[in-house]
Amino acid sequence: MWKFRHFLLALVKLDLRQRYRRSVLGIGWSLLNPIAMTIVFTVVFSNLLGNGDPITYAASVLTGMAVWGFLRDSALNGCRCFVTNEAYIRQSPIPYTVYTLRTVLGQAIHSLIALGVVVAMIAIFSGDAGVLIRVVAVVPGLLLLFLAAWAAATIAAFATVFFHDTQHLLEVAAQILFFLTPIMYTRKLLDDKQLGWMVDANPVYWLMELTRTPLLTGSMPTLEMCVAGIGVVVALVGLAAGTVAWLQKRVIFHL
Amino acid sequence: MPKIEVSGASLTFTMRQNKQVSLKEYLVRGLFRRSLNPEVAIHALSDVSLTARDGDRIGIIGHNGAGKTTLLKLLAGIYPPTMGTCNVEGRICSLFDITLGFEQDATGWENIEYRSYLQGESPATLKAKMAGIGEFSELGDFLNFPVRNYSAGMRMRLAFSIATAAEPEILLIDEVLAVGDMAFQMKARARMRELMTASRLMVVVSHDLNTVADTCNRVLWMKRGKVVMEGAPHDVTDAYTQHVKQRAEMMAARVDEADVVKAA
Repeated sequence: MWKFRHFLLALVKLDLRQRYRRSVLGIGWSLLNPIAMTIVFTVVFSNLLGNGDPITYAASVLTGMAVWGFLRDSALNGCRCFVTNEAYIRQSPIPYTVYTLRTVLGQAIHSLIALGVVVAMIAIFSGDAGVLIRVVAVVPGLLLLFLAAWAAATIAAFATVFFHDTQHLLEVAAQILFFLTPIMYTRKLLDDKQLGWMVDANPVYWLMELTRTPLLTGSMPTLEMCVAGIGVVVALVGLAAGTVAWLQKRVIFHL
Repeated sequence: MPKIEVSGASLTFTMRQNKQVSLKEYLVRGLFRRSLNPEVAIHALSDVSLTARDGDRIGIIGHNGAGKTTLLKLLAGIYPPTMGTCNVEGRICSLFDITLGFEQDATGWENIEYRSYLQGESPATLKAKMAGIGEFSELGDFLNFPVRNYSAGMRMRLAFSIATAAEPEILLIDEVLAVGDMAFQMKARARMRELMTASRLMVVVSHDLNTVADTCNRVLWMKRGKVVMEGAPHDVTDAYTQHVKQRAEMMAARVDEADVVKAA
């Protein structure tokens, strides 16, 4: 993998430049969508679903959206990975995971910018400069998140080679999962209705909390969170590694 | 020391008639009725063995669909063998599928960068070569434009210039490429000859028997995934020519027979 770092980084750079060049506002434009959505949510839902404090609610939704968007887009764009990189695949025998890493790295940088905006907004609007220090505590959570996204993208990429409607099905699944995950609402809402098990069974929730809890509350993630989060990542990475070992010799014949 | 060691390699792959299968279709068909899109096994290579050492120049000849290109892709590491082993040591440069695709929105220069990194260059080694590649392609200012706007000929030139800029130990070539206009073709041929002499080990697939006989020191004749004959260049090309002539005569005889039957 290390041997192909120049190749990988050059392509990631290209992807990012294309993503931000396509619009006049550049980076700002692509962040407008989550920000606009959060404003709408905050105005409409903060009383309904949150605890009535718009700033806390906005911070929670924006963080959630950044993490969720990263996972979702990594998996969805992962589907097209082998198709867009077919020319390289047919020429050089380099590990397939390089191509999924290209996708996920691009997404990660985009999401980090989004997360940076959240941190800045929290610091400005709530006057809470402590959030700038709490960022450090988020790093392990983000690393785990990155591994999970890479694994998800890899699985999605291999699945698409064999079933071309994978992306379509994933989009449907993502839509459902979005509503099942406490992004727009708090976990408490479901706990009150004895539906907490739905959240406990949701792997995305555990991945998300490893980032959201330390960033927003300043407290370290609980042991339960760490164990569950790491468990999810290990399972995903294991599944991805199994997929690669099983299918890497067959993919080329199905492209 | 570059070397190639293939022993008893077979390559079988399964294909479906309709290439694409959807998960929905798979589940419905799998659960409720027999598939209408059956898998077909294709034996592209069977029990192929090949050993080559430093200095070898190997030519592969045979009809279309005989498995020549598949063998080349096996050597390049793109196809894994289903059975047997394939061991290739050395820096490989493969000249096939080179025009397959570029980053459409990136400029010519940027694409030179990506492809070269893929071929194992590093920013330091590439710096020295970059100008040479651009110059050889003769694309001039077009290199500053996105590849999206290039004509097919221009893409080929660019691809050829990049692919042949590497200093390979092992050179794998599929057919003699027709690259660009007349002037560029002559240049490309010269570059190919240069590469052929510079590389330490070469495997070339070609239909041009004269070239094969002249440049190679060993020739393989392949038929339906098997090596039918292996030996000195002229022996093999002569046998192959004989075989092709015999077949042509047989075909002609069959046509004559059919004419007679029709007339009667």
